[in-house]
Parts: sequence; structure tokens; C-alpha cells
Amino acid sequence: MNLEKRKFRFWSWAWFVLGAIYFIVPLYATLRHSLRMERDVIGFKAYVRAFEDADFWETFLLSNALAVATIIASVILIVPTAYWIRLRLPQARRITEFITLLPFVIPAIILVFGLIRTYSSPIGIPFTGIEFFQPLTTTKLGTYALITAGYMVLAMPYMYRSVDTGMRTVDIRTLTEAAQSLGAGWFTIVTQVILPNVRSALLSGALLTFAIVVGEVTLASFLGVDAFGPYLFLIGQHRAYEPAALSFVTFLLTWVAMGLIQLSTGGQGQAAGAH
Amino acid sequence: MAYLNLTNITKQFGDAVVVDDFNLEIEKGEFVSFLGPSGCGKTTTLRMVAGFEIPTSGTITLGGNDITDKAPNQRNVGMIFQAYALFPNMTVAQNIGFGLRIRKEPESDVKARVQEMISLINLEKHADKYPYQLSGGQQQRVALARALANRPQVLLLDEPLSALDAKIRVSLRAEIRAIQKRLGITAIFVTHDQEEALSISDRIVVMYEGRAEQVGTPFEIYNFPKTQFVANFVGSLNNADAEVVDPANGILAMDGVHLKTAEKDFSNRRKGDKVKISVRPERFSFAAEPMKDNVVDCTVENITFLGAVVRIQISIGNTRFNMDTFNNPFLELPALGASEKVMCSKEAVLVLGTA
Repeated sequence: MNLEKRKFRFWSWAWFVLGAIYFIVPLYATLRHSLRMERDVIGFKAYVRAFEDADFWETFLLSNALAVATIIASVILIVPTAYWIRLRLPQARRITEFITLLPFVIPAIILVFGLIRTYSSPIGIPFTGIEFFQPLTTTKLGTYALITAGYMVLAMPYMYRSVDTGMRTVDIRTLTEAAQSLGAGWFTIVTQVILPNVRSALLSGALLTFAIVVGEVTLASFLGVDAFGPYLFLIGQHRAYEPAALSFVTFLLTWVAMGLIQLSTGGQGQAAGAH
Repeated sequence: MAYLNLTNITKQFGDAVVVDDFNLEIEKGEFVSFLGPSGCGKTTTLRMVAGFEIPTSGTITLGGNDITDKAPNQRNVGMIFQAYALFPNMTVAQNIGFGLRIRKEPESDVKARVQEMISLINLEKHADKYPYQLSGGQQQRVALARALANRPQVLLLDEPLSALDAKIRVSLRAEIRAIQKRLGITAIFVTHDQEEALSISDRIVVMYEGRAEQVGTPFEIYNFPKTQFVANFVGSLNNADAEVVDPANGILAMDGVHLKTAEKDFSNRRKGDKVKISVRPERFSFAAEPMKDNVVDCTVENITFLGAVVRIQISIGNTRFNMDTFNNPFLELPALGASEKVMCSKEAVLVLGTA
């Protein structure tokens, strides 16, 4: 019995160390490379140069704003959808899962050309001359709306799965009925009962969405948006050390975000999951 | 007109008729239990009162108002679930105050009512705890307080004790009953546990295949079951085939042994009719007075000690019966294989169907 336990522990640790090496070695290599901008000196020159660049801040802040917009729009679209499918339309689950997986098989380049083709001409009723919208690609706001919609599609597999998994851990049906019997309407149920109880899952989905949006290149390049992804790609072609520094900083930011999520939802996650 | 009326209620899911022409009238302040096996339609009927299911046909009125098609959040009906259904993200106090805040009652009133409800369920020390920090019994008491806080017109309890252990179940059902009586609230309690239904209810509706088999007080349901199903489902029962010998005098024969019954409609039967008879185990006793009705010879086959009760298996003719007697330290039990005389009153011999 003891021997079995020890054996089990050994393999657990072995797999853990292997996984950690797979994750840490490239990160360490990136960090090491980013610190060696000056010959024979280990320093932060690459970081200083990267942060001094005004384009860095501009593109980084724009990508952050787009990421936040994508997260908000995704939550508004996906939480009620996943909730309704779990509650009333379980037969639609398969088709929904299939749709949410499409971004994995349809490359972003197809998506962006589809968006450009559809929204670069006025939107209206064909052959009538009636137009509802001017082409979205001709204005900055329209382009931002378009790229946010595109990001929503790219992030959908992660967001939907996170939310759906979160809802699986909570007895959605009974909680809904309990809230209804206490007089609550749908908006109250979703905002006060469902959302708080899938908060951890929602934050995980939001984090993944954030990571996707901040590093995305294809949509931003073809829609002509000066986002962080194309910026990183561009300086990667001309400079040697700054891209490594920025990549490492991005990783670090992601980790900090994950840590904050863990801190802020630790108690809540337990509360939601313990019943 | 009664306070809560279910009139000709039918519920179909596809081709399956789950509730079939169900009728029931419940008076204000009454505690009614729906008792029956799984799939008999008791929970579906409760859910129709709650508004979670809409009847295929029939009407439901509450306090004189037709609520058949009303949304659940428009009914003012409190519901308690088997799985407690407390909101995990809210404390005990927040859970209890949830419905009141939905109604936008003044915060001072909400706080006072929450305090009142917390005192009612004796959980004053746990007001700021989250559901996961409470035991199952405590969680269900919070669910009760939450449902009552809104002052519902009717309280619906869907197998609220099933997830609890035996001791808590007994104490909590007494607590639920006491609170219901104190507040005078109308309640419907769904259970498949006959002991629970018998101990807690003013009236019991025994359900089978979507129909109300019998509606009556616990005493009536247990002592005067109208159908074979009710007799078998509620309590233990001995069943045997018999033949009508003398309809006018209530005499029938079982394996050649004559028994007398007090069944009202027995005189309408014809001599030679095959019937099914039932006798509850506790209605048998060893015969001390040989001149009484239904004193018959038996052989003791087996004796099982069940704590408060001793179950003795006897055979009368070729038919085996269980006979229950209360345990006491001075009880003289017969030897296995011994021939004894047992008796039961003519009222104990129920004729519930045709063989």
C-alpha cells in the first residue's frame, strides 16, 4: 500500500518536473537573450529601449482597450447563450459546441478577408439603394468594432468552454427555479445568481481572451489597426533584443493577471464549488 | 371554494401522460403531502403549482385567482428543493433577504424580516456564513427561512429531507411542521417516504401513475386504504387469495380456513367469487380469547428481531403471513415450528380487489 503510494507520488513529481521544464526553459532562454543587449554585460537595456518607444505604449494601450471591449462583448453574448442552452435547449449543445470550435479550423486570414469583403461596402438592402450603414472599414470606430467582433470569434472557443464548464459545476436549473420562486426575473437571475457563481470560469475565459487579443497579428494587420501584435511582429524583424524583452514582459503581465485572479476568486471559487 | 384548487389537471410530455385528470382542493393553513413511488407525477404536480411546468389542461386557482399560466416569479409561492438551492455566492442573511430585495422592500424592513427568519430557524450565529460552511440540515433550514421570508401564499416542499441523514430528517420534519403550524401557512410536501407523510400531514394524497389513488388523513390512509396500491404502498401488508363463502355474513375462505371480514360492500359479492384479501402484520395477535372472530391455527416459521418490533412469520394453511408484535423484555416468543392460534378482528381483513 505504502509502496504504491510512493510510486504514485514519484510519477506525479516526474511529470510535474517534465512539464515545468517544457514551460520554463524557453522562457528562461528568452529572458537570458533579452538581458544580453550589451556585449558581455547583463542588463536591462533592451527593456529600457522598448519602453522608451512611444509606439509601444500606443499599440499596447490600444490592444488592451480592444481586449477589454472583446471581453465585455463576449460576456454579454456568451453567458446568456451558454446559460439558456444548459437550461432550456440542451439539444442545441452539440451544434453550439461545433460552432464555437470553428475558429480552430478556419484560419484568421479567412475570417479577416470575409470581414473586409462584407463590411468594406455600404450595408443595405441589395438592388434597392437603401443603406443602413456606411462601410465599417472606412472609419476608425467602425474598424475597431469590426476587429472587436473578429476577436470575439477568435476567443469564442476559450470563452464558451470556460463559461460552460463553470456552469456545469453549479446546479443552474435549481438555482434558477429557486430565484424565480423568490420573484426574480431573468435579468436578476443572470446578473445576481448565475454570473457571480461562474465568476472564476469567467475570469479564466477573460484571461485567455486577453492573451489572444494582445498578441493577435493577422486581423490587426489586414484591418490596418495599429495594435500590439503587429508592432511586436514589426520590431521582431528589425531588432534583436527588444522583442524578447517585450515577450517576457507580456508573459509576466499574464502571470500577474493570473495571480490576481487566483487571489480575488480563491474564496469565491470555494464558495461556489463546495455545495 | 377552497384556498388552492387543482381542477382536472393533466400534464403530458410528448405522448407520456404524467399527470392524469388530477383534482384536489386544499384549505388555507392545511399541510398536504403528495406520497407515491418515483414517476407517479407528484413532483410534476408540485411544479405545476410552482409554475415551473404548465398543465396541458386543467386550471389551478390560488386564493380565488387563476394562476394556471402565470410565470413562477408572479405567483408568490415559496419553494424548497431537495438540493437546498441556496445561492453559493451569498451569505445566510443575503440568501434570506434575496426575495425581499427583489420586491424592493425598504432595507430596514428587509433587515428586520431577515433577523426574524434567522431567529425562527435558530441560526443566529450563522447569519454571515456561506452555504458551504453549513451542514445539510442547516442549509435546508436556511432554504425554509428564505422561502418563508417572502410571506408566500403557499409553501411547496419537494422532497426537502431526502438528502439528509435519518436523525436530522426526523428532527427537521418536526421543525418544519411546527413552523408551518405556527405561521398557519398552506403547504404541499412531496415525499416517497410513507413515514414522513404519515407523521407530518393533515392530509395525504397517495399518487400512482399520475392519478390520486386516495386522499385522506394519515389515519384513514393507513387504516382504511381504498385500493390495493394504497394498502401496499403505505405500511407493510400481507396479501392472499381467497374465495367468497357467505357474502351476507362476510365469510370467505383462504386455503380452506374461514375468515370473517367487515368490508361494507362484501354483501354485493357472489358466493364463489375469487377475491384478494390483505391484513396488516400488526393486526394479528396470539389468541387469548378463543371465542373471537378469525381465530385460526398457524405454524411459526421464523422470528426476526427488529428492535422495537418483533416480526413473526407464520403460515395459515399454505399461505405465509407476517405478524408484528411490540418488543418488551418479558415477551414470551413461541418456538420455531410450534403450532399456535392467532387472531385478527374482522375489520382487519381488507378485501381490496378481485383475484
